[in-house]
Amino acid sequence: MTEEVIEENAQEDVQESRSQVVIPLLQHKGVICEPLVSVGDTVKIGQKIGSFDNDLGAPVHASVSGEVIALEERPHPICSKMHSVVIEYDGTQEAIRFKGNRSANKDEILETLKESGIIDLDGNSVYFKLNTGKIIDSILINLTDAGDLSSNFTPENIPQIISGLKILLKASGASRGAFVVKKDDGQTNSALKGKLGGEDDIDLFPVKRGYSSTMLNLLAYEMTGMRVSNIGIPADVGVLIFSAYSALAVSEAVLEGIPPININVTVSGAVKQPGVKRSVVGTSFREVIESCGGYVGKPGKIIVNDIITGIAQFTDEVPVTKATTQIIVQSEDEVLRDKPGPCLHCARCVDVCPANILPGLIASQSDIGRYDECEKLHANSCIECGLCSMVCPSKRHLLQLIRYSKHALLRSFMIREEKESSNLKLGCASCQSPCHMGAPMIFVEGK
Amino acid sequence: MKLAVSVPPHIKLDDTIASINWTKIAVLIPVCMVSIYVFGIDVLSILLISVFSALITEAAIQKLQNQELTIKDGDAVLIGLILGLLLPPTVPLWIPVMGAFFAVALVKHAFGGLGSTLFNPAIAGLVFLNMSWTVLMGVDSVPHLGQYSDIMLELGAGRLIEVSPFALIGGLYLIHKKYIEWRIPLTYLLTTIVLAVLIGEDLSYVFTGMLMLGVFILAADPATSPITKNGRIIYGIFCGILTVLYGYFSYNYGLAVIFTIFFANAVSPFIEKNTYPKPVDEVMA
Ligand code: SF4
Ligand code: SF4
Repeated sequence: MTEEVIEENAQEDVQESRSQVVIPLLQHKGVICEPLVSVGDTVKIGQKIGSFDNDLGAPVHASVSGEVIALEERPHPICSKMHSVVIEYDGTQEAIRFKGNRSANKDEILETLKESGIIDLDGNSVYFKLNTGKIIDSILINLTDAGDLSSNFTPENIPQIISGLKILLKASGASRGAFVVKKDDGQTNSALKGKLGGEDDIDLFPVKRGYSSTMLNLLAYEMTGMRVSNIGIPADVGVLIFSAYSALAVSEAVLEGIPPININVTVSGAVKQPGVKRSVVGTSFREVIESCGGYVGKPGKIIVNDIITGIAQFTDEVPVTKATTQIIVQSEDEVLRDKPGPCLHCARCVDVCPANILPGLIASQSDIGRYDECEKLHANSCIECGLCSMVCPSKRHLLQLIRYSKHALLRSFMIREEKESSNLKLGCASCQSPCHMGAPMIFVEGK
Repeated sequence: MKLAVSVPPHIKLDDTIASINWTKIAVLIPVCMVSIYVFGIDVLSILLISVFSALITEAAIQKLQNQELTIKDGDAVLIGLILGLLLPPTVPLWIPVMGAFFAVALVKHAFGGLGSTLFNPAIAGLVFLNMSWTVLMGVDSVPHLGQYSDIMLELGAGRLIEVSPFALIGGLYLIHKKYIEWRIPLTYLLTTIVLAVLIGEDLSYVFTGMLMLGVFILAADPATSPITKNGRIIYGIFCGILTVLYGYFSYNYGLAVIFTIFFANAVSPFIEKNTYPKPVDEVMA
């Protein structure tokens, strides 16, 4: 009975929200933007509607033309709820005049990138990554992330990606650029080789495994042979790693002056016509999925960005943001409902861990609250790739237990000296951050 | 619309504790059949009694402690089956009952149950039986692979498991499925063979069904072997050295495997502790 009522209400929502976009004021790891518009204002495509005047901010832009009808908390794919600007289409497609600059110098490029607020897939703004003040000698474009590849790496996009890389090279002062490609990914390899003919300062780096956006430190180590500290960033060893999406968006922003208001999203799983959709930032997942023919059967789970580390959504009304590459729909019987058992010591997690630590052991210590032991076992080195939880035959929640210990260790930093007992008796820090479902975006990475 | 919200990862491999254990059991089934063929239908009762006593012990313990019954995961069956296979065909039928009870109650559950055992329960059970009733546990003959067909069918087997080294070839499937990891089996087997050749031992005594069981199932038993990668290699080499040493001086490569692994189990935590890997990143905090 109650369920029916809920469904009816949901039906009405569909009617109402058909012509809205919801643009969250926080879409990256950093500081939330101040809205620059108020309810009732008319906005044009590309108009800046929120910004924060600091290197940690990343401005957001209107992606449709129309009227601002609300400034309120709306569902967010990563932070569960977030202040957002809700814009109603007026159907005119009116846009501000985009000004491209084909011969921009370094400072102009940086300024454009700051204004355009491009977010790399690891959640940092591209401007923030470029503006670390560290000496950069190479820029890598990571072409091993499956979601990014399928959304943004099409043959037509390759010239644009290459020009994006060149712009990034210019902006950072780096001397070399390279594409990182999986060795066995013949398609990407051959597509790139054809286009890279005349470029001397751009290489192709084959690697053995795939690196998702959380594994960039590891990729930097693989490339340079220099170990990156677990609180560091690849820039510490002189490389910057961007996704294909960033390169594409950078070239669009600098050459054509268009901020990231459209984004390619790969929809896969239990939908009628899976595929890549070019979507306006702020469209709800529901509309994107409808444009793919709708759900097959009843959806069980909607996951954003990555099936292994992605975040399950509590509603399909969440908007596509500037860092959305993949929407994965699982049908009801694909949803995992397993129960964790005891650790078998089978060591499969150890064999699969890219950080070369002992996930099973750390998780067991974390489970009984021995965070000091977790630290000795290098829990902080975990890059949260989730592979250990995926292979564990006992279905233990290794990733969560390790994250929990990392949170506890983070909180214990200030008071460590005063502690007498070796055991840090601390709880989880996640209740204090607004996001308990995934990587909290408000944590500022770095120093 | 109701959506499930849960923590990542959102896909997991299909392997479970049960699938691992039942596959191991399936790998042991051929050798059971060969031993029934060689020793007669009587040994079936040894195997069945061993398996059922293990099952009943586990069920009773879990009932008494108000734990969830986990006999379906196949671990007790596996312990019972291995124990049965390690026995000579001549033992009275109460021997497997004692052994299985000791293995499951005192070696598995008293030490914390699945995954926390210090010694492999089946091996500890056999060691217990051997110590307590040495005469009853005596074997009639020691296997000797005189000709190549003995790899398939060894009529001089003293224990059920020794009837056919070849019947344990399914161990390779376990490695393929990653149910056991290649490091221990490979290093153990190689070390044993190389050392045996070096000291001039007759390989036909070394290469028994017992060694194959040791290599594929017992040494590679997850709970009792080190979890670190280097630790596993050291463990395998260590097992190989001990097996050849024990076998060389006792002329009994069957029991050599048992006592080797029993001893190696005891030092495995030590090996593990000293081979913790270095994380990929530079550790700062
Ligand atoms: S999530 Fe697991 S596999 Fe990945 S780095 Fe952390 S401990 Fe290793
Ligand atoms: S994969 Fe799971 S069962 Fe195996 S050692 Fe790791 S935590 Fe334990």
